[in-house]
Amino acid sequence: MAVTARRLESQFRLIPGAIPVLLPPLPDVESAASEAVKELRKGLEGRISACLTSGTELIEALDRRRRNQVVPTTLEAIDALLDGGLARGKMTEIAGRGARLSVAVATLASATSIGEAAALIDIGDAFDPQIGEAAGINLRRMLWVRPKTLKQAVTAAEMLTTTGFQLVVLDAGLPPLRGRVPDASWVRLARAAEAHGTALLVSAPYPLTGTTSEAMLRAEGSRGRWSGKLLMGVETALRLEKHRRKRPGEAARLLFHVEELAVSRWPLAEETANGQRPTANV
Amino acid sequence: MIRIGCFFVPMFPLAARLRSEPDLLHEALAIVAGNGNNAHVIAATRRARKKGIHAGLSLAQARSILPKLIARGRDEACERAAQEALLEVAETFSPRVEDAGDGLAYVDISGTERLFGGQRAAGGGRESEQELAKAAIRAIEDIGLPARVGIAASKLAARVAAELPQTPTVVTPGDEAKFLAPLPLARLSPELEAAAMLQRFGLTTIGDLARLPENEIASRLGDIGRELHFAARGIDPRPLIPRPLPPEFREGMELEWPLVALEPFVFIANAALDRLSKRMEMQGFACKRIEITLTLEPDGYDARAIDLPAPTRDVKTILTLIRLDLEKRPPGAPVIGFTFVAQPDRPRRAQLSLFGPAALSPEKLATTIARLISMLGDGRVGMPMTVDGHLPERHDIAEFAPPPPPDTRRPPPRARGLLAARTFRPPIPVEVITERGTIASVRGENIEGSVRVCSGPWRIEEGWWRDAPAEREYWDVELWGGGIYRVYQAAATKEWFVDARFGM
Repeated sequence: MAVTARRLESQFRLIPGAIPVLLPPLPDVESAASEAVKELRKGLEGRISACLTSGTELIEALDRRRRNQVVPTTLEAIDALLDGGLARGKMTEIAGRGARLSVAVATLASATSIGEAAALIDIGDAFDPQIGEAAGINLRRMLWVRPKTLKQAVTAAEMLTTTGFQLVVLDAGLPPLRGRVPDASWVRLARAAEAHGTALLVSAPYPLTGTTSEAMLRAEGSRGRWSGKLLMGVETALRLEKHRRKRPGEAARLLFHVEELAVSRWPLAEETANGQRPTANV
Repeated sequence: MIRIGCFFVPMFPLAARLRSEPDLLHEALAIVAGNGNNAHVIAATRRARKKGIHAGLSLAQARSILPKLIARGRDEACERAAQEALLEVAETFSPRVEDAGDGLAYVDISGTERLFGGQRAAGGGRESEQELAKAAIRAIEDIGLPARVGIAASKLAARVAAELPQTPTVVTPGDEAKFLAPLPLARLSPELEAAAMLQRFGLTTIGDLARLPENEIASRLGDIGRELHFAARGIDPRPLIPRPLPPEFREGMELEWPLVALEPFVFIANAALDRLSKRMEMQGFACKRIEITLTLEPDGYDARAIDLPAPTRDVKTILTLIRLDLEKRPPGAPVIGFTFVAQPDRPRRAQLSLFGPAALSPEKLATTIARLISMLGDGRVGMPMTVDGHLPERHDIAEFAPPPPPDTRRPPPRARGLLAARTFRPPIPVEVITERGTIASVRGENIEGSVRVCSGPWRIEEGWWRDAPAEREYWDVELWGGGIYRVYQAAATKEWFVDARFGM
C-alpha cells in the first residue's frame, strides 16, 4: 500500500497542476459534538487528529454552508438588491404591479437548472409551461401547484417546505385576492422555511407577509417597450423596501423581452405579412 | 434436518375480533356462531370465562349466567385479515410459510434461527430457536394477536408444542415421540372422533397409543388409526406446503349497526387502514391503489377504487382520499361492512447526494403530493408539460417524478430575461370598441380603459379539421391607466376575450 502511495505521489509530481480534484472544496468543520469522536481524537497524535473529520460533522458543515448560500434569481439587478439572491431558509417578498411573474420564472429557472427541486404555487393558474421552458426552467424538477385560495396556497407552501423543496415560489396572482390568512400562518411558514433551509419567494399584488419576510421588493407598475408595431418588452422598476441585513431604498430598473417569444408564439406572423399586415396605433 | 415452527393464535375468532375492536378486551365478550336457537358460544374473554361462560353454551344459557354479556358473531372479514397479518409476520421469519387456517401458520425455520435473537443465538441450536420463538411471539403481539409458538421437526409435533399453555416450546430433534408420550390423547388430533374412542378403550396418553402394535390399531380403526399411530410416534409425513406471496393486502370488518354518517365510518376506517399500513411496512411495501368495497343494507355492494399519486403508507393521506371520494360519491345506503384491499408497490427509493443539491425523500414527496391532491383535487398538482400547438393557453400536467439531482453543484446560467405572460384560464370576456381597424378601448371584469398602444392583428388557426376549430385574431394592447394585455377575437362568434396580461 505504501509503495502504491509513493508511486501515485511521484506520478502527480511529474504533471504539475494536473492533480485531479475528486471532491469540491470542503467547508470549515466545527469540532465534534460526539463524545466518541472526541475520545478518538484525544488518543491520536495532534497532527492526525487535526485532519480527522467524522461523517456527521461533514454533513452538518455541508448543510450549514448550504443554508448560508442564496438562490440567485440570475437577474443581475435583483441579485444586487438582495445581496446575491433569495436567502435560503428565509422568506423574500416581491409585491406590487410590476413584472412579478417574470422574476419568479427567472428564479425557478435558476434553481431547476442546477438540479434543485422547486415548486410554484400558482393561485391565479397563470403559469405558461411554454414560456417557462423557454426561460430555462427544467420542468421535470418543478412542481406546479394550482390552489384556488390564499389559505390553500399557504398550506401547500408549508407542506412543500417541510418536504424539502429547495425553492418554493408562492404567486398570489392578481387582485382581488381570494381569502385571507392570519398573520400566524406567515410566521409558521417562515419558521418552516428556516427549519428546512428552503428559499421562499412570495409574489403578491400588495404586501402580505408583514414582519416575517427577510426582504421585501416593491415592483412598480410596468410600461410596455414598443418598437414600431411590435411589443418588444416590459420595463419594471424595483425598489428594496425592507432588508434585514442592509439599508433599504436601493432601486433598479429591469427590462423583460418578448421578441424571442414572438417568433415561437405567433407562427402565422409570416402569413399575416402577406395578407393582413399588423397595424399599430401609437 | 428440517425444523418447523408453528405459530398459533389461541381462540382465534375471539382474538381476531379483539384485534379489530381492542376496547372490548376487558369486557365480558363472547363470540357466537350460528343464528337464533342454534347460536352458541365458541370463545369468550377472560372476564366472561371467570363468570362461567365457556365454549359450547348456547347464547340463551350464557345470557342467563351473565345478562350483561356482550355477544358478537364470527366476523369473516376480521378473521381473514387477522390470518393474513399472522402469515405476514411469519414471512418475516422465513420465506417458506404454510397457511393452515384459523390462526395457525407453519414456518420452515431451517437455517434462519441464527438470524434472530442476537448474540445469544449466534451459536445456533436449541437456544437460538428459543430466541427465534420469543421474537416471533413479540412480533405477533405487535399486530394485536396473542401468540404461542412451538418448534419441532414435524408439523404435528410443532402444532402440539404450540398448543401447550407454556410457550414457547422447542422439541429437540429426534425427541418428538418422547415429547408427545406423556400428553393426553386428545391433543393429538382433537377434531377426530377416533381419539375419543381410543380414550374409551382405556388409552389416556399418546405414549399409550404409541406402545401398541401398529397393525393391530390399523386392523381395528383403518387408515385413521394407522395415521394416529404414526402421529403418536412423532412421525408426520405431511410436507410443508409454502403459500404463494399474496398480490394484495386486505383488511375489513362487519359492523354491528349500519352506519349512515361519514364520521363514524372514517373513525373505524382509520383503525383498519392503520393495521393495513403496518402490514405493508412489515413487507416493505407501500400502497399504490386502494380498493374499497362497502356492504350495504339491506343488500348490495358499493365498490370503488382510488389510485394514489405515488406509493405511500401514510394513513392520514389515504384516509383523506377515501373521505373525499365518499363525500363526492356517497354509497346511497347504510353501510354494514367494509373491505379495504391495498395493491402493494415498492416505495420509491433514491440515493442521497453529499455534495450536489439535496434530493427529495421519495416517500415524503409521495405523501405530500397525495395530500395536496386530496386538498386541491385531481389535475391541480404535478409537473407542467408543454403541448404542441399554437393556442397560447395550451398546457398539460403530469405526474411529478423529478430525476436525481446532479452529483456536484454548478453555478446557474444567466437568466434570459424573458417576459412571462400571466395567462387567464379561462379567458375573460370583454367588450371592445374598435376605430379605424384598431382597438380603441376595452371593458371587462377588473379591466377597463382606453388603449394607449395597440398592435395586431395576428391570426391563429388551429384544428381546422375539427367541428369547432380555433380561429382567432390576436392583439397586444396597453391601456392608458396601465396594464398590457393580450386580447383576441374568436372568428366564429365575434366575441372578444382577454387571455393574458404582460408584466405583472
